[in-house]
Amino acid sequence: MLEILRKTIKAGCQTTKYPAVPDIAPEGFRGKPEISDKCTFCGDCIKVCPPGVIWFTEKSGEKTLSLSYCGCIFCGRCEEACGYGAIKLTQEYELASKTKEDLITSIRSKL
Amino acid sequence: MNANIESIKKEFNTNVLEVSTLHNETYLTVKKELIVKMCDYIYHHLDLPVVCIFATDERKIDGSFKIHYVFSEARDDSFIILRISIDEKNPKYPSITNKIASANWYEREIQDMFGLIPQGHPDPRRLMNFEDWPAGVHPLRKDFDIKTKPPRVDGEYIYRRVEGEGVYEIPVGPVHAGVIEPGHFRFSVAGEPIINLEIRHFYTHKGVEKLFENISIDKAVFLAERISGDNSVAHAVTFCQAMEKIAGLNIPPRANHIRTILLELERIYNHIADIAGIATDVAFSFGAAHANKLKEDVLQLNERVTGSRLLRGMNTIGGVRRDIGGSKDEILLSLSIIQRDFRKLMEHLSSTPSLMDRIETTGRLYNDIAKGLHVVGPVGRASGIDRDMRRDHPYAAYKEFNFKVIVSKAGDVHARTIVRADEVCESVGLIEQALWSLPEGDIRVKVDKIPDGYALGICEAPRGETIYWIRTSGNKIERCKVRDPSFCNWLSIEYAVLDNIVPDFPIINKSLSLSYSGNDM
Ligand code: SF4
Ligand code: SF4
Repeated sequence: MLEILRKTIKAGCQTTKYPAVPDIAPEGFRGKPEISDKCTFCGDCIKVCPPGVIWFTEKSGEKTLSLSYCGCIFCGRCEEACGYGAIKLTQEYELASKTKEDLITSIRSKL
Repeated sequence: MNANIESIKKEFNTNVLEVSTLHNETYLTVKKELIVKMCDYIYHHLDLPVVCIFATDERKIDGSFKIHYVFSEARDDSFIILRISIDEKNPKYPSITNKIASANWYEREIQDMFGLIPQGHPDPRRLMNFEDWPAGVHPLRKDFDIKTKPPRVDGEYIYRRVEGEGVYEIPVGPVHAGVIEPGHFRFSVAGEPIINLEIRHFYTHKGVEKLFENISIDKAVFLAERISGDNSVAHAVTFCQAMEKIAGLNIPPRANHIRTILLELERIYNHIADIAGIATDVAFSFGAAHANKLKEDVLQLNERVTGSRLLRGMNTIGGVRRDIGGSKDEILLSLSIIQRDFRKLMEHLSSTPSLMDRIETTGRLYNDIAKGLHVVGPVGRASGIDRDMRRDHPYAAYKEFNFKVIVSKAGDVHARTIVRADEVCESVGLIEQALWSLPEGDIRVKVDKIPDGYALGICEAPRGETIYWIRTSGNKIERCKVRDPSFCNWLSIEYAVLDNIVPDFPIINKSLSLSYSGNDM
C-alpha cells in the first residue's frame, strides 16, 4: 500500500492541458490531406486512393476536385502520386464534425 | 525432398496423385476419399499441426472446387499442403474434425462460404451465414457477385442445451457494455461455477476475402492492414510476404529490419494493453492506470517513428514506404525508459496479493486442449505450446537476432500475463538489435506487376500466427485466404472458463486477448 502511494506521488499528474494547450502532432505525422491550387486536375491521386474518397465533378466547364475526410485512411498515397506537390498530408488531426459535408474539401479550376 | 514427404509417399503411394514444390511449400494432390486417413497420419504420426484449411473455387479452370489442408513443419521451415478436388455436382467431402478437432470451424466456414459439405462433421450448424441467410447462397463462390443482396428468410439457431436441477442459463451479448464488437456468450451455471459456455460470433461478417478479389493489388495491402485494428502491421506484413513470395522478390535488408522493428513495437503495445486490461478487470486501478500510461508512451513512440500511432501505412509489397523517423538514439532511449518502468510495474503487480489471488489458477487452459484446438500465440505458449513463427518459420530479419521464446506450463491467467510481460522485454531486445545493426540502403524495390502464382505468407502477430494464402492471376487477386490467430483461439474460451465462476469471465476473456474483427471478417 505504501509503495503504491509512493509511486502514485512520484508519477504525479500525467495528463496534459489539452485542449486548452494545443497538442502538436510530431513531424511526419499523417493527418488531414490538403489540396492546394497547384493542382492541374490530372486525376492521378484519384486512381491511387485506396478507399476512393477523391473525385472529380464537372459543371459548365468548371472542374472540381473533392476529397472527403470521412473515408480517408491517411495513407498518404495521394501525396506520393501527385507530380505537382498539390496534395499534402498535414499535422492536423482535429477533424470531428457534425455533418459529412463539413468533411469535404474541394478545389475548383479557374475558368 | 524432405523426409516427411518421403514417408507420406511411402505410406500412401498411388493415392498421392501429384506432388509439386514451390518455395518451401509442397502441394500434394490426393484423392478426397483418403483425406481423413492422410490428415490423421500427418497430424498424429508425423506430429505436424494443421495451421489452416481453406477452399478455392476453380470451376473456371477444371470444373471443381479445391480444399487445401496446410500443415506446418517447424524443423525445416516448410509446409505440406494436401489438396483435394471436389466436383460441383457432388459437393461433399469427408470431415476430419472427428480426428483433428482444430478443423471444426474451418470446415463449417467452407460449408457456408462455398457450399461444400463436410460429411460426418459433429456440429454441422451454420457458422457465418446466419439463419436469415437463404440456403444455397455461398458468398465466396466465383458466381456470387459482390453486389448481391440476398433476401432475408426465417430461420432459427439452436444452441446446445445443458439441463438439470439448478442449472441456469446466462445469455451475454451480442451487444456489450463498452466499445467492443458483437459476440454472444451463453453460459450454463450450476450455482457460481460455469459448467458450459457456448460462444457465437460472426455478427458483423464483412466479406473481407471477397473484397480482396475485387480490389487492385496495390490497394489490397491497406485492406489487410485494417482487418484487425491492433494487429495492423502483422496483417500487412503477412500479406506483403505472400505477394513477395509469388513475385520472387527479395526485399532490401533495411526494409526487413524496419519491418522487424514495427512488428515488435506492435507486440509491445498490444501486450502492455492486455496487461492493463487484466488489471482493470480485477479492479486494480492503480496497476491499470500505470499500464495504460506505458501503452500511451509506446503509442507516442510509434507516432514519432512512423507518423501513425497504430503503425499504419508503412508496409508495401517490396518493402516499406518510408524510413523510420526519429533518431536511433532517441528511439533507444524511449524504449529503455519504457522497459524500466514496465519492469517496475510488473514487480508491483506480482507483489499485490489482491491481484495475484484473482489471476493465479484462474481460467486454466490445459495443454492437451490447447494443442487439440491449435491455440496459437502467447495464449498457446502459456499452455506449454512451444511455437513461435519468428523462430519456426522465420521472416523479416528475425533469423539474424537472438531472442527467447517464452513458454510456461501453467495455462492460467497468471501464466498468460507473465508470458506477455517477458515477451515485451524480448521485443525491446529485438528492436535494440535491429536498430544497432540497421543496414544502409534502399527501403523498397519497385513492383509493377505480380505474376500469376500462389503462396503462403506467415507471421507471428501479437496474438499469434497469422496466415495468408494468396493466388494471383492477371495481376489481380484470385483468392486471398486470411487466417487470423483469433480464429484458432476463440474456441479455447469455452474450455478455459469451465469450473470458474462467472465474475472471473472478464479476466479470462481479457487474458486470452481475442479479436472480434480479426475473426469476423
Ligand atoms: S492533387 Fe495532384 S494528383 Fe490530384 S489531380 Fe491535382 S495535380 Fe493531379
Ligand atoms: S491519404 Fe490515402 S485515403 Fe486519404 S485521400 Fe489520400 S490516398 Fe485517399
